[in-house]
Amino acid sequence: MKEKTRSIIVVSVMAILFFVVSAVCIFKKADDYSDSERRVLAKMPEISFQSILNGKFMSDFESYAMDQVPMRDNIRGIKSFNELFIFNKRDNNKLYLSDGFISKTEYPLNNDMLDKATEKFKFLYEQNLKDKDVDIYLTIVPDKNCYISEEELRLSVDYNEIKEKMIKDNEYMSYIDISDLIDIDDFYKTDTHWKQENIVDIAEKICSEMGTELHSEYEVAELPDDFYGVYYGQLALSVTPDRIKYLTNEEIENCVVTSYATGMPKETTVYNFDKAKSKDPYEFFLSGADPLVIIENPNARNDKELVIFRDSFTSSLAPLMINGYSKITLVDIRYVQSGMVGNLVEFKDNQDILFIYSTTILNNSTAFR
Amino acid sequence: MLFSSITFLFYFLPIVLILYFLVPKKLKNAVLLIASLFFYAWGEPKYIVLISIEIVCGYIAGLLVEKFREKKVSKLILFISSMIFIGCLVYFKYADFFISNFNAITGLSMGLLKLALPVGISFYTFQILSYVIDVYRGDAKAQKNPINLALYVSLFPQLIAGPIVRYSDIAEQLSNRTHTLEKTYQGIRVFVIGLGKKVLIANSLGELCNAYNGRIESSVLFCWMFAIAYGLQIYFDFSGYSDMAIGLGKIFGFEFCKNFDYPYISGSITEFWRRWHMSLGTWFRDYVYIPLGGNRCSKPRWFFNIFVVWLLTGFWHGAAWNFIIWGLFFGVFLVIEKLLLLKKLEKMKVLNHIYVIILVAISFVIFANDNFKDALTCLSGMFFMGGLPFVSHEQLYYLLSFAVILVVAVIGATPLPKKIVSKIENKKVGNLIISIAEPVFLVIVTIVSTAYLVDGSFNPFLYFRF
Repeated sequence: MKEKTRSIIVVSVMAILFFVVSAVCIFKKADDYSDSERRVLAKMPEISFQSILNGKFMSDFESYAMDQVPMRDNIRGIKSFNELFIFNKRDNNKLYLSDGFISKTEYPLNNDMLDKATEKFKFLYEQNLKDKDVDIYLTIVPDKNCYISEEELRLSVDYNEIKEKMIKDNEYMSYIDISDLIDIDDFYKTDTHWKQENIVDIAEKICSEMGTELHSEYEVAELPDDFYGVYYGQLALSVTPDRIKYLTNEEIENCVVTSYATGMPKETTVYNFDKAKSKDPYEFFLSGADPLVIIENPNARNDKELVIFRDSFTSSLAPLMINGYSKITLVDIRYVQSGMVGNLVEFKDNQDILFIYSTTILNNSTAFR
Repeated sequence: MLFSSITFLFYFLPIVLILYFLVPKKLKNAVLLIASLFFYAWGEPKYIVLISIEIVCGYIAGLLVEKFREKKVSKLILFISSMIFIGCLVYFKYADFFISNFNAITGLSMGLLKLALPVGISFYTFQILSYVIDVYRGDAKAQKNPINLALYVSLFPQLIAGPIVRYSDIAEQLSNRTHTLEKTYQGIRVFVIGLGKKVLIANSLGELCNAYNGRIESSVLFCWMFAIAYGLQIYFDFSGYSDMAIGLGKIFGFEFCKNFDYPYISGSITEFWRRWHMSLGTWFRDYVYIPLGGNRCSKPRWFFNIFVVWLLTGFWHGAAWNFIIWGLFFGVFLVIEKLLLLKKLEKMKVLNHIYVIILVAISFVIFANDNFKDALTCLSGMFFMGGLPFVSHEQLYYLLSFAVILVVAVIGATPLPKKIVSKIENKKVGNLIISIAEPVFLVIVTIVSTAYLVDGSFNPFLYFRF
C-alpha cells in the first residue's frame, strides 16, 4: 500500500477515535453514581480564581475527566482483561479471578493492625465485661482468598498466624476454630461474603462450643434477581453472577428485629426484601451492617442471650443462631464508638459474648471506632 | 498536565488541534503559544510568571547580544542573562540541597525554602540558555518576534520533559514549517507508541518497583528484579514521553531531535550515553565539554572536563547526592573505557553487553534511592552479600505476575520489533498486512492505554522531578 493511502487511513481512523471520544466526553451528561464501583462519581468542579490559583480546580477536573469517560465500566473491563489475560498478571488491582471466583488480596499481615484490634477488644472487655459472669468467645472468619491461595501461588495473609496471635493476645477469650468447616464453594463467586445456605454447620459449631445446641430445620428460598457482588464491579469483567439463597422457618420469620442504623430504633425483619433491590443486595440479611441490631426470638426455648461484636459476615450467620437464644444483640464497632457501647447494650451475667471478625477486618482494624 | 492523562488526550489535545488547523498560518504560533501557556499553567499556575519572566529576559538578551556582537558588552549580556537563568534554576531546584549540606557541615540550622519545583525548569532553562549562546556564537539570529521565542521556550510537546531542543535546530521551523498528511501520520504513530510505552509498560514496571519498595522480605532475585525493572521503567517512561513529544511536534509541523536510540543494546558505557537522553548529552557536549576544551588538551585536563560534565549531568537530574554519585559513576567508567577498555569492548560480542547491562542496572539502583543506605542494601543483595535468600514466595509471585511485561519490555527495548516489521513490510503481501494491521494496532494501543488511565492506575512521570 502506498505511503499516502496508509497515511489517509491512519490519520482518519485516529482522528475519528480522538474527536468522537472527545466530543462525548465534553457533551455527555455527567453520571452521578457508579453502581459497579459503588461510589459517587466526581462532578464538574466549580471554577473560581482561588481554585485555579491553588490548582484545586485542575486536580478536581482530572478526577472528573477520569470518572466521566463514556462507557467507563467497559473501558475498565478492557484494562482488567489486558492485565489478567494478555499480560498474564496474577491480579488486577489486587483482585484475582480463578474458576469464576473473584477474590481480593489481603496482604501483607499487619501485626500493628492486629494489636489495635486486640486493644479495642480489651477496652470493650474492661469497660463492659470484666465484672460480669459471662463467657467470652473469639472466632475469626478466614478470608476467601485463604482458600484459593492453597491451590495457586497467591499473596495472602496466613490465617493460622493471625489465629495464633489473636489467641495469644486475647487470653480471656475462648477460641472457636471454624476454618476446617469452610471451603471456597461456601463463598459467593463475585462477593467477599459467605453463602448463608452453606454455613449452617458453622452456626451449629459456634453455638455448640458456647454450650447451646441448635435444633432447626430450614426451607431454602432464593431471591429472584442475580447478585452482582462487590468484587464484580471492581473487576469490571463479565463473570457469571451469583444468586442469593436464604434459610428461613417460622421461628426466624417471627423474630422481631430492631435496627439502630440512625440511632433511633426501627423495627424490621430478619430478611429485608427492600434491601435485596439496593446497591448492595447482601444487605438483605439483617438490613446490612448497622451499628446496633437486636434480634428477639418470641419462640425461644430458653432465656439465654448472646451479644456479638461483629462485621458484615455475621449478618447472614446470626439468623441461624437465633434458635438457641431469646435475644441476640449485634454490635458493629466500625459504626459506633467503642466507648458508647456500654450505653447502648445491656450487659448481664450469664450472657454469651462472641467476637467474630473476618481476617480482612482484623488486618485493617483502623475501621474500628 | 501529563500527556498520559484523560484531560490531555480527550479535552486539551483535540481542542488545540481543531483551533490550530482552523486558524490561518500567521496565527498558528499564537494559538500554540496560548495552548502551551495554558498547558503549563494547568500544572503550575503560579510559575507561569517565572517562565514568562525568563522568556522576556531571553528575548531582550538575544536582541542585545546580536546588537553588540563582537563587542565586549555582548559577552557581559550573555554572562548576566546566563546567571539569571542558572540562578533561577539553582534557587528553585538546588537551594534546599545547598542549605541542608551547609547546615550539615557547619552545624547551623538555616531554614529550608521548601519551594515547589517548577515543572520542566531544567528543560526550559537549558533551552533559553541554548538560544542566547547560539545567538552569541552567531549560530542563530536573534528572534525578533517575541511570540516565536516564547513558543520555542514553552512549546507544550517538549516543555516539561524535552527533548531539549536547541534553538539553532528549530529557529527556521518557528517561522516556516510544513504540515503534511505523511508527517501527521508519522506523528500519530510515534505519539501512540510513546503513549503505550509510558502507560502500558513503564507504569506496569513501576508497580513492580513499588512492590519492591514496600517489600516484607527481600531476596537476591527481588533485588535483581528491582534493578532491571527500574532500569526498564525509566527507559520506557522517559523514551515514551519523548516519543509523545516528538510525535506531537510532527503533527504541529516540527521536527524534534531523537532522544533515545535503543540504549540497552550498547556495547559500552560510551555508546550507552550516545543512545540515552541524546539531547541532554549533546547539550552538555556543545555548551560545557567543548568550551572547556573537550579532548583537545592535556590528559589531566581532559579527565577534568569529563568529570565536570558528569558531575553536572548527575546534578541536573536531581538535587541530591545520589544523582551526583550516579553521574560520577558514569564519569569514572567513561574514563576507564577511554583509557583501557573501549577497544576491547568493541571486539566482544556478548560480554560487552552484559557489562553494560550490569553497570547500568547498578547505576539505576543508585539513581532510584536518594537514601544511599537503601541503594547499598539493594546492591549488596544483588551480589549475594546481604545474607538474603535467593528467592521467597512473595518474589516468586511477583516474578510470575510480571514475567510477560518484563519479557515485552526487554524485547521492546531492542530494535527487534522494528526490524521484524521492516522485514515484513519489504514484501508485497507483508506490506498490505502491516498497512491493515497498523491502524488496528494504534487504535488498540490508544484504547487500552485509555483504559489504564481511566482505571486510575499507577501513573507517575519520573522525569517530572527534573
